[in-house]
Amino acid sequence: MKSKKVFAIGALALALLLGACSSSSDTASENATTEETAFPTEDLTLNISWWGEQEAPGAQKWLEESIALYTKEHPNVTIKHVLQTTDGLIPSFEAAAAAQSGPDIQYFWGGIYSQQPGWDGHIAPISDYLSEEELSHYINAKVESGFQGKVWTAPWYVNPSFPLLVRKDILADNGLSVPTNWDELMKVCDVLSAKKITTIAGGVKDGWFGGWIYSILGGQSVQSQADVINAVVGTTKFTDPEHATWWTKLEESRDRKCWNDDINSLELYQAQQKFVDGKAAMTITAGPDAPNFVKKAGGDEKVTIMAMPAWSDGPLAGKMGTTSQTLGITKWSKYPQVAADFIKFTHSTERLNAWYAATGSMPADDRFDISQVESASTKALFESALNGAPYLENFIPAQLDADAVFKNVQLVLKGTVTAADAAADMQAVMERLRTSDRKLVDNFTAWAK
Amino acid sequence: MKLTRGKSEAVGVVSRQRPARSSREALIWIAPAAFVILFIFGYSVITVLIQSFRYDGDWVGFENFSIVITDPIFLTALKHNGLLLLAVPVLITLAFIIAIALFETRRGMRFYRSAVFLPYVLPIPVVAVVFGQIYQLHGALNLFLKSIGLDFLAKDWLGDPAIALGTMSSVIIWKEVGFGVILMLAHIISLPNETYEAARIDGAGFWRTHFSITRPAILNTIVFYGVIEAITMVSWVFNYVYVMSNGLGGPGNATMVSELYIYRSAFQNKAPELAAAAAVFLFIATLVLMIAFFRIQRRSIAGTFNK
Repeated sequence: MKSKKVFAIGALALALLLGACSSSSDTASENATTEETAFPTEDLTLNISWWGEQEAPGAQKWLEESIALYTKEHPNVTIKHVLQTTDGLIPSFEAAAAAQSGPDIQYFWGGIYSQQPGWDGHIAPISDYLSEEELSHYINAKVESGFQGKVWTAPWYVNPSFPLLVRKDILADNGLSVPTNWDELMKVCDVLSAKKITTIAGGVKDGWFGGWIYSILGGQSVQSQADVINAVVGTTKFTDPEHATWWTKLEESRDRKCWNDDINSLELYQAQQKFVDGKAAMTITAGPDAPNFVKKAGGDEKVTIMAMPAWSDGPLAGKMGTTSQTLGITKWSKYPQVAADFIKFTHSTERLNAWYAATGSMPADDRFDISQVESASTKALFESALNGAPYLENFIPAQLDADAVFKNVQLVLKGTVTAADAAADMQAVMERLRTSDRKLVDNFTAWAK
Repeated sequence: MKLTRGKSEAVGVVSRQRPARSSREALIWIAPAAFVILFIFGYSVITVLIQSFRYDGDWVGFENFSIVITDPIFLTALKHNGLLLLAVPVLITLAFIIAIALFETRRGMRFYRSAVFLPYVLPIPVVAVVFGQIYQLHGALNLFLKSIGLDFLAKDWLGDPAIALGTMSSVIIWKEVGFGVILMLAHIISLPNETYEAARIDGAGFWRTHFSITRPAILNTIVFYGVIEAITMVSWVFNYVYVMSNGLGGPGNATMVSELYIYRSAFQNKAPELAAAAAVFLFIATLVLMIAFFRIQRRSIAGTFNK
């Protein structure tokens, strides 16, 4: 009797603790249709779960305007949207995927973030609903979202990744000019830190900035994204020089006091405010938000936008990374063709121009006319993104990013681990991941083909 | 103690007078609720257990358990849960001292009691966000320390992996201590005055009175509070860690705990089977604590009656 009582209470405790973990592993039903399917005439509702206002302020206004215009054309369609938080975007989608119920249109970051839900069977390829000709205009669609001839998600807007914003006024006040290579940047750090001025403002408490740093420093020593995928599947190692040297550059930047001393206790967005407030000479920000930062900090006269100064002579060194934030159609959506039609509608010329007007950032469509961009720095940013380098963070498993990159960037910047330790840990995490994620190697190998 | 025994005997008499019917009635009344609870939670429990033995729909035996138990991050998380248990004696001691202080306070007891209990009723995310700001390198705490000349004590409280877990546990202690104070104070107030008067007549001082009379008298409450807090430290600190470390358990893995590991496995790393396996381990740990609680409680109650 006693043991039964204890078991019953224990079972109750387990349920309370673990109820949130239950999820269905059922695969989504195959429901792909073609673009030619007749447009439904019955009343229907589409739900959009999205993110982006955080890096492209004005996106929400534009989305609501787009919904209003689209539903005016299609009165039987109602579209609702929910803006997710940065930390909640992926978990909320995973919860929806576990229940096979939730949004019809889901926002995904590019690369692995749009590949993984496709591999998991949670989204239908957008290429099943949009023509090849239409998709050919969507920037980065094939590079990041392509998988064995299909395209998982539709690029929405471009994220030049990630520009270094430099306050020319602060540099000039201290007798410095804009650095053009890594050594010059280190010298700027020496001068400014001696005067107790922060050179680059950053915050790694929430981790994301670590992934950015990996991409803009680590990208300089690889030939292409294929090198990174090779390390993921085990052909090469993350301790090999082409993958590990960037940790020493990060270490050097720490030793030369390039960063704000509270970088470990600040979130990214909190730290960036130091740049706007004139307390830091540089910061790194999301491409879509860069023009806004330039405006807030005094315009093109005071601020310049550039790629991270090169520390190597690799083919991607000194180039801006480029990635597109995307929209995908969930496997459980009852009206995928309507969802695709709405996405296509957002790529009409009028909507592309409206996006730029609302957010100041670049829509992910080569039909967007860049000549309407007046700011020289913004125009340069858009052009660099059109011919940018692959954004490395999007080509590694998201778990490697969080468990190795985010973590070790924090620890290296704090001085708790060395560059060599960080590279070794990244390799160890990758090896463990190949064991725990039993489909990882197959998926990445297929993606690379 | 006679009074206690008398009460229990009286209860025994009543229960002997209305035996089986009372039990049956009680069962009937609680059956619908019990069924709903068992169905809802039982389903979750069984789903988690099944999931922990499967991968992608296939039965994989103990493979998921093997992966989880060899994962350094999970082991780190378990270690941190263990370290957080060290906060339990601190909580008990603090709660006991504050409860006695409030008991001995003649004026303003209601105000002080509310002030002490207030943190317990505040939402954890609010507390975590506020303390996240306070504990920044250039946050309020360090500014205060510097303003009074204690610069050497100013630290990167949440940014330094060496002290981040301790910092987090200080927030948990601040929030949880009020619960213990109220529990203990309620029990102390209900104790018979005669005992304290007798102790005073016998010449017992302040500390002797509370150590030798109050402490044993409220031992059940202390044990209850200790076990509740132990369970909290093992399986109920997710909110604190999630908000204060932005869902990472950082810096590094300095504040990683088992709940966060489970959450991240299920909802960030897309590995619900590993989350389920880790959850089973956590369940076992919680179960051990609960069994220990019931055993200690039974022994403690028996001890009280024997006296």
